[in-house]
Amino acid sequence: MSTTAPNVPNVTPEEPTTENDSLADRLYTVRYDDAGDSHLGVTVPGICAEKCHSYDCTSVCPADVWRKGEDGVPHIAYENCLECGSCRWACPHGNVEWSYPTRGAGVSYKKG
Amino acid sequence: MSDDVRVNGEEPTTGEGGSPDYDNAFDAIVVGAGLAGSAAAVTMANEGLDVLVIERGRYPGAKNVFGGVLYTPTLRELVDVTSAPVERYVAEKRFSMLSERDETAVSLRPGEWHDPPHNDSYTVLRGEFDRWFAEQAVEAGAVLVTETTVTGLLRDDRGKRILGVETDRPDGAITADYVVLAEGGNSLVSEGADLKSVERAENIAVGVKEVLEFPGNDTAIPDRFRLSDDAGASYHYFGEGAVGDAVGGGFIYTNEDTISVGLAYRLADARGRQPKPEQTLNAFKSHPAVAPLVRGARTVEYGAKTIPEGGHESIPKLIHDGAVVVGDAAGLVLNNGVHLEGTNMAIESGHLAGEAVVEATRRSRTDEAALRSYPERLESSFVVQNLERYGWLMERVEADRDFIFEELPHALADAGAEYFRMDREPKEEHAEAARDRVLEAVGGWRGAAKLAYRYREVIR
Ligand SMILES: Cc1cc2nc3c(=O)[nH]c(=O)nc-3n(C[C@H](O)[C@H](O)[C@H](O)COP(=O)(O)OP(=O)(O)OC[C@H]3O[C@@H](n4cnc5c(N)ncnc54)[C@H](O)[C@@H]3O)c2cc1C
Ligand code: SF4
Ligand code: SF4
Repeated sequence: MSTTAPNVPNVTPEEPTTENDSLADRLYTVRYDDAGDSHLGVTVPGICAEKCHSYDCTSVCPADVWRKGEDGVPHIAYENCLECGSCRWACPHGNVEWSYPTRGAGVSYKKG
Repeated sequence: MSDDVRVNGEEPTTGEGGSPDYDNAFDAIVVGAGLAGSAAAVTMANEGLDVLVIERGRYPGAKNVFGGVLYTPTLRELVDVTSAPVERYVAEKRFSMLSERDETAVSLRPGEWHDPPHNDSYTVLRGEFDRWFAEQAVEAGAVLVTETTVTGLLRDDRGKRILGVETDRPDGAITADYVVLAEGGNSLVSEGADLKSVERAENIAVGVKEVLEFPGNDTAIPDRFRLSDDAGASYHYFGEGAVGDAVGGGFIYTNEDTISVGLAYRLADARGRQPKPEQTLNAFKSHPAVAPLVRGARTVEYGAKTIPEGGHESIPKLIHDGAVVVGDAAGLVLNNGVHLEGTNMAIESGHLAGEAVVEATRRSRTDEAALRSYPERLESSFVVQNLERYGWLMERVEADRDFIFEELPHALADAGAEYFRMDREPKEEHAEAARDRVLEAVGGWRGAAKLAYRYREVIR
């Protein structure tokens, strides 16, 4: 096979681009009413710190609510939560405490 | 947030602590004003039952995200849909395999879908639709309370019969003869009351979705998706270009002047070192076959939600003394790659459960046996029939995942490229090369025959 570039007419190949909003901008599109305290938590912090190596709560969350902390216990930015429920099932140790924000607080979708 | 009770119709009498005094005022309490809940409420209210619907969101739909297509065969029997807020009817279904760079697609545009009732398939936005559907229940006589979360079930002294619900309002216990659990897949109340067990992550899909608009470009949707008037499109994507090496797929649905773009894949595949769902969505939107469809779009809303996809085997016990479980709370979703249907099953199950409750009230009974017509009729309806029929498919897809999601999209794209290759060789050689490429992927003629046998029931 020849290594020189093929002799072709002058056309420009497509280079698809998509501008994706940042997560912060995306989260900004949904209304959030703060219930005042977190509807999410960990049951036993020691399990996160000592037993857990996968930190699945952080990898599955579509809203970057769970962030690995220096002490090995995740920080929970609950006011980002889209209430999808993923972290509840994903935690291999069943260590996620999950309740609904009270009285209509939390996320509100207009479109859904 | 205001403390007043948002009730449509009459204001309830207010008891101590600012909570409405609803005790014993209702025949049935419905937990959740989603599709299953409103279907049950309409059915019961139409038959003269006093129904209370409790919704945790600021309005029905405020907490609900889905892909997009609402299936309406049962809905049309229940309510007058002429004023329903639908976006477009589905005039095209397109199935597309994406490898990293390639796309191989099949499109179906049956002429019949342009005629009413449009194959009972319409794109909707749940924030609008669920509100409307709940209003139909209120018009039929049901009472709707929003901004109220059911936190548990009340039981009799023996811990057996369900007597009502506990809510997050002050003095928030409310009793009724029946409770309809229509709380969706994240069913904290049913699980908390031991009516069902917690699903495995293998049986849950995480879904992320964006609603996009095209600022300053009014014809982007009809032009890019080849649509006129209220016709709409439903595009489904599989393969590594859609969701990496996860089991699942991507979608684009056209609304009136926005599009819904998203993904759903197994939560078990999102664990560990996988890209986050949001990054997978970005990659999908940037695929060469997808990017031109979303070019210049702006995000109107970002959302996420999970799908219970355990199928037939995950259906919990549906009836209890004083309670029924319906819709996603009962795991009634068909998600097998080709079909993603939960809306029709939610409405059908809510309706059948509502009818069972009506029958039981007529006989003044609240025991489990009196509600038996619900599981029996569900069993013989399309809901359980379809779940049973495709139960095997997900397991097989899981077993063949590398082949289906990676090798096959590549092989088909390569075969297509070979078949249509333009050079100075005779076409016969290209056809052979194309065939060889497919045979290589499927493991020769024997492999092809085996595969055809393994998947024969898809078209049974
Ligand atoms: C990403 C994604 C895409 C999908 N795409 C499609 C599709 O294109 N077509 C299709 O047919 N199906 C689709 N589905 C499935 C479909 O959305 C569901 O099957 C359907 O919404 C189930 O209806 P439901 O009424 O059972 O539950 P939901 O719609 O979840 O409604 C439950 C309601 O209960 C309320 N609630 C929950 N807990 C409480 C509580 N404790 N107290 C008070 N209220 C409560 C919630 O706020 C909600 O309003 C999709 C799902 C997802 C996640
Ligand atoms: S996955 Fe579970 S155990 Fe691990 S860090 Fe997250 S919450 Fe803790
Ligand atoms: S519910 Fe969903 S959005 Fe909220 S923290 Fe869990 S994974 Fe993240």
